[in-house]
Amino acid sequence: MSANRSVFKDEAKLDINYVPNRLPHREAEMRLLTEFFSFALAAPGKMAQRVLVVGDVGTGKTALSQRFGADITQQAKQRGINLHCIHVNCRQYRGSLFLILHYAVSTFHPTFPKRGFSAEELLNIFLQVLDEQNAHVILVLDELESLIEREGAEPVYKLTRLQEARFGKPQRISLICILKSLKSIEGLDPSTRSTLQSNIIRLEPYSREQLIDILNDRVQLAFKPFTVPEETVNLIAEIARSEGGNARFAIELLWRAGKYADAEDFSYVPPEFVRKAVSSIYAIARKSDLATLTLHEKLLLLGLARFFKENSDRAYASLTEVERTYAVVCEEFGVQPHTHTQLWKYLQMLSALGIIKKSVSSAGQRGRTTLLCLPSIPVKELEKELTTLLEKEVEGG
Amino acid sequence: MQIEEVLGNRLRVKILKILNQVKELNVSEIARRINANHKTTMKHLKILENEGILYHKRFGRIRLYRFNINSAKARAIQSLMENWDKSEEPAKSFRTTVK
Repeated sequence: MSANRSVFKDEAKLDINYVPNRLPHREAEMRLLTEFFSFALAAPGKMAQRVLVVGDVGTGKTALSQRFGADITQQAKQRGINLHCIHVNCRQYRGSLFLILHYAVSTFHPTFPKRGFSAEELLNIFLQVLDEQNAHVILVLDELESLIEREGAEPVYKLTRLQEARFGKPQRISLICILKSLKSIEGLDPSTRSTLQSNIIRLEPYSREQLIDILNDRVQLAFKPFTVPEETVNLIAEIARSEGGNARFAIELLWRAGKYADAEDFSYVPPEFVRKAVSSIYAIARKSDLATLTLHEKLLLLGLARFFKENSDRAYASLTEVERTYAVVCEEFGVQPHTHTQLWKYLQMLSALGIIKKSVSSAGQRGRTTLLCLPSIPVKELEKELTTLLEKEVEGG
Repeated sequence: MQIEEVLGNRLRVKILKILNQVKELNVSEIARRINANHKTTMKHLKILENEGILYHKRFGRIRLYRFNINSAKARAIQSLMENWDKSEEPAKSFRTTVK
């Protein structure tokens, strides 16, 4: 399909990382966030703020914080305030405070070494850097669940209580913590929780009408005029509404339907291509998640996929069974299998990512066995995807 | 130290070249990149620092070295390095004018 026959004007506007200038139906939340951080422009250093942004997948948490971050740093620049907004996805940094802080420090010192100190030392270094440059930071911890899951309450406690050891010095670090639900911070100790929970912004799932507005905005930005009929937008909004008001899903559907239109040489995007897109999207929705897994997490997941492929009547597999298929997969790729304890850690990670579901066997069985299942991904697709990724990784050394 | 002494050492020139490329670096990484041990690297870094060409900042145990932009020597060396790899026409025009 030649570019001039494409229904798209600018595909990039449908990219998952694109943050539009205007976030429809999040104006109130944006105002609230601006209000919480008004001190950052009026009296930087006098106080630090902690805000929780809570909402389901695709409710605009990341987009809201990124839009806010870009706007406030621009305003700060105009006023001569050295304010940075550092957005870190905790899951991308494997829920490690050290890696998260290293990323933050490396925005000021890009070649800062990765070894030779602890997370505590790195936190002090970060503060030293900010003091030296008279800089203030809004640290956005996206998918905070990963950090809590891996390191417990400690990192959050340290980040919220920084100022106690710096009495009299300017406050440098404010936090925006992004969570899917407040459940994940229920396990934190009461003092950490209380410092976090004072400012909460809840993002409710988008309604059908709101999704239509969002989609219309993106259609205008990304598609040529009159290429996306109203019925197509309505159908996407309907489907995304049933997926829990997930705008990201809606935008992905819109893009995919456009791609089908291009592939089949259509000059517009009929609703039929939306249906086609839906059936393909589930299988690859987690592709980006898979690519971020470590070698052995991939191998273990492939072991699990193979198990379910061979035992298609089973919904659950025991850890012992999966360990056996994992060992075979390791042999196939010429990799030394890791031990049971290591595998347990990988399972925790896979479960935290929501790729697998883990439960403990109930009454009726002797002992306690961990049972694993793959809730949402078709096994064949998963196997295909993992095999491709692993072949690349193992061959690439 | 005289210029020929300071720039007459291959490792010191390598250090300057690397720091000109990446702006700042810690000692271990410099040592790794110039393929020298820590002690030797420190010796050369100290010489360059004493000459005012480099300076370092401490972050706990980490020392980050970079060019001292306030020094005329440092700026001259940076300019030399930036111009060094630029392709230049051989001096043909000079020969024709001599004729």
